[in-house]
Amino acid sequence: MKNQSYNTMLISVAGLILLLAVFPITVLAQGKQAPAASEEGKALYDDKCAHCHGIEGAGDGSAAENLLPRPRDFTRGLYKIRSTESAQLPTDQDLFDIISNGMPGSSMPAWSELLSEDQRWQLVAHIKTFYDGFEGASPRLIDVSGKVPYSEESVAQGKEFYTNLGCVDCHGVVGRGDGTSAPDLTDEWGFRTWPANLWEQWNYRGGSTTEDIFKRFIGGIAGSPMPSFISSFRLGLTDEESARMNELELKMDNDGLSEAEEEEYAELEEKLFMFEDIMLKVEEGEELEPDEQTKLDTALKPIFEKSWHLANYVKSLGPEERPQAAVGDKVLRSQYRAGALPGMNDEAWNEIEETSYFPLVGQIVIDPRQFNPSIDSVMAKSFYNDNEIAFRFTWDDRTKTLPQTDDETGETVEDALAIQFPVKISEGPTDPKPYFIYGDRNRPVYLWSWKVAEPTTVTEMTAKGINTATVQSDQSPIQAEGVYKDGQYQLWIKRSLTTDDKRNDVQFTPGVFIPIAFSAWDGSNGEVKTKRAISTWYTFVLDPVPSNKRFVYPPLIALISVGLLFGLRNSVRRRQNT
Amino acid sequence: MKTKVVTILTLLIACVYVASATAAGGDEEVESLVFPASYKAMSVSNGGTISGMVKFDGAAPEMKKLEITKDAQVCGKTDKHDESIVLGEGNGLKNTIVYLMDISSGADFPSDAKYEMDQKGCQFDPHVRLLPVGKRLTMINPDRINHNVHIFSSVNAAFNKSQPGTRRKMNVKAVKKAEGPVNVKCDVHGWMQAWIAYIPHPYFAVTDENGKYTLENVPPGTYQLGYWQEACGSNKDAPVSVTVEAGGAVTQDFTLALK
Repeated sequence: MKNQSYNTMLISVAGLILLLAVFPITVLAQGKQAPAASEEGKALYDDKCAHCHGIEGAGDGSAAENLLPRPRDFTRGLYKIRSTESAQLPTDQDLFDIISNGMPGSSMPAWSELLSEDQRWQLVAHIKTFYDGFEGASPRLIDVSGKVPYSEESVAQGKEFYTNLGCVDCHGVVGRGDGTSAPDLTDEWGFRTWPANLWEQWNYRGGSTTEDIFKRFIGGIAGSPMPSFISSFRLGLTDEESARMNELELKMDNDGLSEAEEEEYAELEEKLFMFEDIMLKVEEGEELEPDEQTKLDTALKPIFEKSWHLANYVKSLGPEERPQAAVGDKVLRSQYRAGALPGMNDEAWNEIEETSYFPLVGQIVIDPRQFNPSIDSVMAKSFYNDNEIAFRFTWDDRTKTLPQTDDETGETVEDALAIQFPVKISEGPTDPKPYFIYGDRNRPVYLWSWKVAEPTTVTEMTAKGINTATVQSDQSPIQAEGVYKDGQYQLWIKRSLTTDDKRNDVQFTPGVFIPIAFSAWDGSNGEVKTKRAISTWYTFVLDPVPSNKRFVYPPLIALISVGLLFGLRNSVRRRQNT
Repeated sequence: MKTKVVTILTLLIACVYVASATAAGGDEEVESLVFPASYKAMSVSNGGTISGMVKFDGAAPEMKKLEITKDAQVCGKTDKHDESIVLGEGNGLKNTIVYLMDISSGADFPSDAKYEMDQKGCQFDPHVRLLPVGKRLTMINPDRINHNVHIFSSVNAAFNKSQPGTRRKMNVKAVKKAEGPVNVKCDVHGWMQAWIAYIPHPYFAVTDENGKYTLENVPPGTYQLGYWQEACGSNKDAPVSVTVEAGGAVTQDFTLALK
């Protein structure tokens, strides 16, 4: 056995050397090639992939219906994540990488731990059999050699392109996927699709390195609304020429052009089309003359440079890793503050550096369920003083949905948040908490219910089960303010630490770990009642009040100590004297 | 610990549970045109003409007004309506493709023709575009706002490129295979929708605002005459046989109803 694998290795090495000698370097740059399709590949596919992607690769496996994004239909040769240019097939290596690494933010898992490398290559070969176009195809790679290093200046330039090239239309002004075109987007199969929330880099399907971002920008995301943006720039024109064209076009639409200007415009356009013609020849699969190739390379260089700036900007937006949930040392601590608590937009909130992060998942315990919630987390900060507690909750939502009728269910849907506490805080670890979704008969929960239609109202509710929330007859005074901006809600809530209604309301006591949980509804995602995003129980604590006694006890102890020392010294002296 | 177990359990249930369909979607299959296996271009003399009118059967359906959800200052200057059924005089049906299914040799495309599609005011014009295989299409954007040209081809590679306000004219690469009609969309303005048919020979026509069409310079012979209309479907399973005499003129009308 050992010998055999040694032989295999020898043969592979020999084969590799032969390959290196025979194939030009460009072929190698595409990475490894898949083996011929085999029975083994098909068997593996049927076993591991067909449940979602379907036996015939049409993306229609038995599990497909409840998945969003949908599993890919392989029969049209449309692959989202490619290292190749617009309207090109992926390389074998691209397919291998996706199988190996999975697609973050989707249901596609990483198979590298579960399948051997050979098995994954067999899968690549089988997947290619679903689309005829792979035969004889040699997709063109995106040139990533001109990478512009990350810098403040590059990010600033990239931001300008982000704003001016139309990224904002779908991804929104600050990039949370909340652009004005976002609510209407569908993919080429007619399924609902959302633009990426660029702040959540851990959800980027094809990875979040600057190179990954650059490739998506140049190559587009096939089958989705995300186009290639290489056409955004005027190929072959200098920045000055391009600016002049803008000027002339504006004039053309308003006052009209003089004869000389018309001529000037025609010349600029001719130059642009000359370069575009070379580009189109490449896209149409024609061989270029050497001088044409040089011209194209020169013309593309500044465009690629601009695209790297844009990639650097997108990269600058958020952390790569999903924040750690609010447990352990990340637990939410309400901070004590003498005097008035900060209002919604108070600078004081910045004093708390880290926002506590509460992940949400879909409610799938009872019908109607939510398998694909769009709100994936709530974040929180909190302050309290001797009488009151204030929270500031934030959560991302790509659309602000005021009450409206859902097309599918006929229900009235709207954006909303509920913050949940147990009515009675459990005493010690053996005392069970209420059921994590809206409590149970024996252990009710106390809710703060907020809805977008009344952004300054929080209603107190009591729930004794997943579907049994009732508005309390006795409402404690609670101040609230909710605001939606750039794809994010911010909700400020203030209540007194204790209330009169001790039977139904949670009482906040410093130093006690208090369970907290969330429910969030995105109206535009058809969410209402039990169809929502939920969290499990987390705990938070009102940091113990820094005691005034610290000014009393230490000096007192010091005084006593000094007194004792004196006493000791005197008694020793006395003894010596006697 | 317990909460962890619950979370894992709920996730497990999520993986196994198969509920009724939640997401709407899955466009219905678009009927395609019928193309000859091969086509040879030659000069045609003494060709005949096939012309006629395509009528819509029944009362004109209401042309649904499209909701302009963004860039209203540009896109909302004029009202936009669903263009799947557009009727003219005598219920003449616009935007129907009428064509010869089985012609294998005949005239070439005019060499000087330009193929354009305008996006003015956030509406594609024409709504149905015939584009010869091997010819480039010029997309025009006089709106000074961002559009994207998304062509849902499947026989040819699908296409999706951005055309911002600074790209007044953008040429789209030629394709190699006959296909279509395929959908054209602008994802930025979700209501913008049109069709492109990549055609291998020139014997295709799109009906005008009064439902009229003409196929000229048809070599004498007997042909299968087909139609395609986005809302009424096609007759590819039951085409009409027409015989064209040298220099003659044939009239063939169609009456179409909603699918």
